Amino acid sequence: MRDSGRDPGVGRARAAARLAAIALTVAACASSSAGVGGSARPRPTDAGSGSAAPPAGRIELTVFAAASLRDALGAAVAAYETASPGVAFALSFDASSALRAQVEQGAPVDVFASADTQNPEALVRAGLAGPPVPFAGNGLAIVVPAANPARIASPADLARPGVRIVNAGPEVPITAYAAALLANLARLPGYPPGYVAAVAANVVSREDNVRVVLAKVQLGEADAGIVYATDAASAGAAVTTIPIPVAAAVVATYAAVVPTAAPHPAAAAAFVDWLAGPAGRGILARFGFTAPAP
Amino acid sequence: MTTATGATTPPTRTLASRRRTAPAGHLGALLAVAAAVFLALPVATLVIRAAAVLSAVGGAAARAVADALVLSLLTTAASLVLVVGLGLPLAWWLARRPPRGAALVETLVDLPIVLPPSVAGLALLLVFGRRGLLGEPLALVGIAIPFTTVAVVVAQAFVAAPFFVRAARAGIRAVDRDLEDAARVDGAAESAVVRHVTIPLAASALSAGLVMAWARALGEFGATIMFAGNIAGRTQTLPLLVYSEFQGSLDASLVAAAILAVAAAGVLVAVRLGARRAGDVTA
Repeated sequence: MRDSGRDPGVGRARAAARLAAIALTVAACASSSAGVGGSARPRPTDAGSGSAAPPAGRIELTVFAAASLRDALGAAVAAYETASPGVAFALSFDASSALRAQVEQGAPVDVFASADTQNPEALVRAGLAGPPVPFAGNGLAIVVPAANPARIASPADLARPGVRIVNAGPEVPITAYAAALLANLARLPGYPPGYVAAVAANVVSREDNVRVVLAKVQLGEADAGIVYATDAASAGAAVTTIPIPVAAAVVATYAAVVPTAAPHPAAAAAFVDWLAGPAGRGILARFGFTAPAP
Repeated sequence: MTTATGATTPPTRTLASRRRTAPAGHLGALLAVAAAVFLALPVATLVIRAAAVLSAVGGAAARAVADALVLSLLTTAASLVLVVGLGLPLAWWLARRPPRGAALVETLVDLPIVLPPSVAGLALLLVFGRRGLLGEPLALVGIAIPFTTVAVVVAQAFVAAPFFVRAARAGIRAVDRDLEDAARVDGAAESAVVRHVTIPLAASALSAGLVMAWARALGEFGATIMFAGNIAGRTQTLPLLVYSEFQGSLDASLVAAAILAVAAAGVLVAVRLGARRAGDVTA
């Protein structure tokens, strides 16, 4: 009796195929409309848009940027959008190392703004990006929660047993800068032998990127963390900055590249030039960034 | 003695009544309360704090939350269409025409439920990525899926589909086949049998599976951030915004988290109401 189902089996398969086709079509429509509606920055098509922009009218540049650029680049992009009608931005902030991995995996990125020069250079070596453009410099800061529960007064106190230090992961740029800072400090008079190892032993967690380190210090989950000077400034009164001896200072150099697979390479290059130029640098300076080391 | 009443008759104590009055019983109650508080307190605190900062969330942060909410709703809707369109035929096949090795297929289909999402994200990259199994040939014809809104939908459908397929398979299997056969005897075409007999009878199981799949898709994080990235307005869904804004505006993070918590509560209520209605039907 159940064999009666065999006959219309073809119809059933056809219905299933039709369902699948509808699903794919609707999914494609929904996602493409999400791409337009989700950006929520509709711009009128402007024939007289910036000279570098392609004739398509409004374009959207995808910018992947170091987590420490979150505030400053947000402001820079807003200024650029006002100055160049027809250009909008989609931003993604994370550790430069994580973003570099995404570019390697084929993320359609127009500009990759890294907190170091190593990650962009890795892309250049792999043939995945054009020449790096240094566009900013940054200092480092040792931050503690406003209440300073571990009573840290100088960088030497980071080596005291029981201090809970939060760092970023091994691939993240701030980690290399922090290691250079600690090595510099260890060479100064008054710092005991084994200072670097003692500080390393106090590291209780390694976070995804520098802004998570800052958040953990702000929340009081960590007694201390090493972040960028701009991060310390953005946290305001929630953290206290421990002065670093000038002799130990480390300067971070930020570099941007346009990946070879960039959807809008000309507009991307124009934006990088603007960012590294006086206008961009002026906005970055408002957030505490310096000119890149020559 | 199942309705043990007086606990004041020590000599003839039953096992049940002794359990009730022993110190271990109080300890058990205490642990139960502690467990309930442990599970409820974090979410309750989150929602209360989010309500407190709701008015303080500024324009840019509020827009970011709204963007992510819209993206989450659109992508989960699209992934549900994908899940039903592909999952229903699969569930049907597994329930009605179990092939040789159906157990293996069922295990493979269930796998994303237990797979860590980061593993799912990596696996999706290996298939659809720049040098992926399908990604490479697709790139030749100009189609790139990773780090796009489509990738968000693919990741959500991948992790959510098993919840729907499982529920639908069980629901279809539970439908009395004599009812289907009766319809066939009356001359109904196979598609009409499905539409007017099987699906209505399995409706509560299907909708329960749909709600669970939607919840899983809405909460998707790990596979999305690895396979689709975290691009504002394009791939940054609500769970990714919670993670991102934790590094920026904690208030925006809290509001987005509370939206997800309320949605999760809504899902549980929906499943419960659906189950009760199904119970009424079969009773």
